[in-house]
Amino acid sequence: MQTPNMDPEVAQWVEMLQSPELNERLVAIKSLQHLGDEDAIEPLIAALNDESPTVQTLAVTTLWELANPVAIPPLIECLSSPHAEVRDEALSALKELVSTQDLMKLLDVLQQEDAHAQLNVLVLLRKIHDAQALPFILPFFQSERPELREAAVTTLRYLNQVVRCEPALALAEDPVESVRRSTALTLGHLSDQEVVPLLCRLLTADPDWQVRRNAAQSLELLADPAAIDSLVAAMADPEWQVRKFTARALQQTADERAIPALIKALSDEYSDVRRDAATALGNLGQPSTLSALQQTLDDPDMDVRIYSERAIVNIQASQSETSNA
Amino acid sequence: MNTQYLKTDFLVVGGGTAGTMAAIKAKQASPESDVLILEKANIRRSGAIAMGMDGVNTAVIPGNSTPEQYAREITIANDGILNQKAVYETGRLGFEVIQELESWGVKFQKDHEGNYDLKQVHRVGKYVLPMPEGKDLKKILSRQVKRHKVNVTNRVMATRVMVQDGRVTGAVGLDVRSGDFVVIQANAVVLCTGACGRLGLPASGYLYGTYENPTNAGDGYSMAYHAGAELTNIECFQINPLIKDYNGPACAYVASPFGAYTANAEGHRFINCDYWSGQMMLEVWKELNSGKGPVHLKMYHLDDDTISEIESILWDNERPSRGRFHQERGENYRTHGVEMNISEIGLCSGHSASGVWVNEKAETTVSGLYAAGDMASVPHNYMIGAFVYGRIAGQNAMEHIQSLDHVEPDAEFLAAEQARIYQPLQQPEGVPHTQMEYKLRRLVNDYLQPPKSPNKMDIGLMKFVAYEQTLEKMGAKDPHELMRCMEVHFIRDCAEMAARASLYRKESRWGLYHYRLDYPEKNNEEWFCHVNIKKNKAGQMELFKRPVEPYVVNVDLEEEVYDVAVR
Amino acid sequence: MALTTQRVDVPVIVDESKCLEKCVACIEVCPLDVLVKNPDTGKAYMKYDECWFCLPCEKECPTNAITVQIPFLLR
Repeated sequence: MQTPNMDPEVAQWVEMLQSPELNERLVAIKSLQHLGDEDAIEPLIAALNDESPTVQTLAVTTLWELANPVAIPPLIECLSSPHAEVRDEALSALKELVSTQDLMKLLDVLQQEDAHAQLNVLVLLRKIHDAQALPFILPFFQSERPELREAAVTTLRYLNQVVRCEPALALAEDPVESVRRSTALTLGHLSDQEVVPLLCRLLTADPDWQVRRNAAQSLELLADPAAIDSLVAAMADPEWQVRKFTARALQQTADERAIPALIKALSDEYSDVRRDAATALGNLGQPSTLSALQQTLDDPDMDVRIYSERAIVNIQASQSETSNA
Repeated sequence: MNTQYLKTDFLVVGGGTAGTMAAIKAKQASPESDVLILEKANIRRSGAIAMGMDGVNTAVIPGNSTPEQYAREITIANDGILNQKAVYETGRLGFEVIQELESWGVKFQKDHEGNYDLKQVHRVGKYVLPMPEGKDLKKILSRQVKRHKVNVTNRVMATRVMVQDGRVTGAVGLDVRSGDFVVIQANAVVLCTGACGRLGLPASGYLYGTYENPTNAGDGYSMAYHAGAELTNIECFQINPLIKDYNGPACAYVASPFGAYTANAEGHRFINCDYWSGQMMLEVWKELNSGKGPVHLKMYHLDDDTISEIESILWDNERPSRGRFHQERGENYRTHGVEMNISEIGLCSGHSASGVWVNEKAETTVSGLYAAGDMASVPHNYMIGAFVYGRIAGQNAMEHIQSLDHVEPDAEFLAAEQARIYQPLQQPEGVPHTQMEYKLRRLVNDYLQPPKSPNKMDIGLMKFVAYEQTLEKMGAKDPHELMRCMEVHFIRDCAEMAARASLYRKESRWGLYHYRLDYPEKNNEEWFCHVNIKKNKAGQMELFKRPVEPYVVNVDLEEEVYDVAVR
Repeated sequence: MALTTQRVDVPVIVDESKCLEKCVACIEVCPLDVLVKNPDTGKAYMKYDECWFCLPCEKECPTNAITVQIPFLLR
């Protein structure tokens, strides 16, 4: 393992790394980690197969710190380790180390039947953003494991240039909440025709409030006027975070039909809802809402006062523009 | 005790954010030159970001903001008193720094398309860039230091910069393990020793329960002063809104995108702008004293999943002991707010503006002496500013040293400094440094904590001056204690400067940072200037006004400055 | 000057049964340099009560021998 030019200090620990005593190997690998000498890379890669998972984990950490691309393929192997601590450390390391060049190797792992490794790779693909991964992700939408379905639909929104993905839409009806939550967020990045009606249905009818909230967030991104009726209805949602993000979506799609619901929201129990409703009213620019907004200028919450004042200034400005025209 | 003699072309004092970058950039500029980092801890885990960093506060990313907007924002946040050219450089070079850090493996938060995921915290622009995986920043920097073949000497603390015939010739220090006296000849020196984080005493009474890494005792402020360099804005203290007793940030920046916020006891927001400034601190101070205190970071209105996500970010990064702190107190974000308080005072230009005077080339007023990072006065410079100024210092220093040769150290100077450092070892039964430091810092709290009273500050100043003799009673039993003794000297120097500068500026400015009870108003006619300090030829602390350099970006201060009324 | 030996509750606790004699990982990473080896036993201990509760000692220990508590005055 030793190279002829190796620093004697490094060589001493590399030798100790071969000791039959676990404690000796632990000391050796810690010392190599602190020295950070790249001459030790080969023995460190070998230590990924040490019989002790602790030594293996420390070898992963050390290779991570050295950040030499030579170590990436063996670290990818560690994603299928039987030991959770080794897998987790390898995933953390690879999140920093992987690049587009490692795509094919990662996709290979995705095709092996190891759920841990598959899950980890789905996470890593989010760091690469490469649309070539799409066909390899699609089969996971039908996986029997909900965590794989969820990871796959989440990864989908990280792939650049993917704007349509019909197979993902079915996951909006998934029996498991966590999958529907992720799907609701991913839909905000897609432009299939069915996306807006689907999000409207999730917003108003899904039994899980986090799904409804995420649907509102996606509708804010899409800013499609077709969603207006559902958004107005969702302002009466029993969960305040749904109302908050619905008010935000209404900031993007100004429509007079929303005015009564927004004025009602100015006296919502939750300050975020009051604040975001005030901004939405400001964007609408209707002088008829001024008196309602003025009543919020003594709101106990500083943010509500600030945004309400801005909304009033907005409306007054659009008024004077109209009168000057 | 032995004496070690070292020689280098460029000496970097302090291997934190600014120091590692200064050394790397110096080697990139001149690979054949010898560059040495002197670090009192170990560069793997040292400085303000020893445990990582959860985000960047001053990221000027093209397409999101411009250096002009950034300079304007900081001009407003610092009430107009700044060398705008220097601040502009942080805006101009910050993006290159971010790109270089990325190429080294540092991860910043990106959205689904791979764009930087910036957050708005400042008044106008978006400059806050989270780095949820930033806990290993120092390991990445250490790796680059090694790859660039920079020499590193850990566990040696510099105590004085050597200046001969008006130019820097090196530094001297103490090996905090062997006790050796270390003399380093160098043609240029950059001081990157961080904030003076051990100035005020935390309310807990624990000397090291500080917001800043407690290794940062104001070493560089004191060394620059004794080298004859000017310091500036020292009266613009650092005060932070922190978790009570824990003294870590509540991290409203991290938690606010999830819906958390700073609230008064009634649960309402009361802060106009979340960006940390003296004005914001004054709002917190007023609320605390209004009957609506105490204030807290409010999350209990959020759901369990969101809170779990906030916890996983907050407890893993920058202050990983935070979760343990809450657990030991039986506190849960789901049911209770995190009680907050304002911190004891410190000096730090990373957060406010107090530091060694530098221009846009990181030069101090002493030839060959540079300063960067929290201790160099480039207001609100934070981590990106420390990287930018480390880089500027490293590059300029290599240009500066081209025609310079080493100078033999002055034997008389060395003998005097050696005697000063080792004096506590001569009296191991003398007053322990812990008691010496506790009393000094308690006096800082008693007499300097804003709002500032002139009569109290007069008393404080008298006591800090007299403390110089008190320090002679300090005893040490080993090199480690000797290190702490020397740090108490640094703290005393900073306390005296803080008192003098605060007394000199006869107005109020920077919100709570310099709120004087006898001059509660801002007075631009007389005080639109820097207050600078230096050691004069007689060895006395001299204070004087230094005009604010003409702005490069126009800002209408009357119109735009954020002003919280003091009453 | 008279000295007392006052007990303090120290933040860093080392489980001596797990601490390895040849290992200095915790000592090398402590920013405040408060950990040393007991020359008699070869085990690490906190010699100076100057802790920033920053945790590298605990995280870097290969045998999980170290527990860091928040210093009592802050707890």
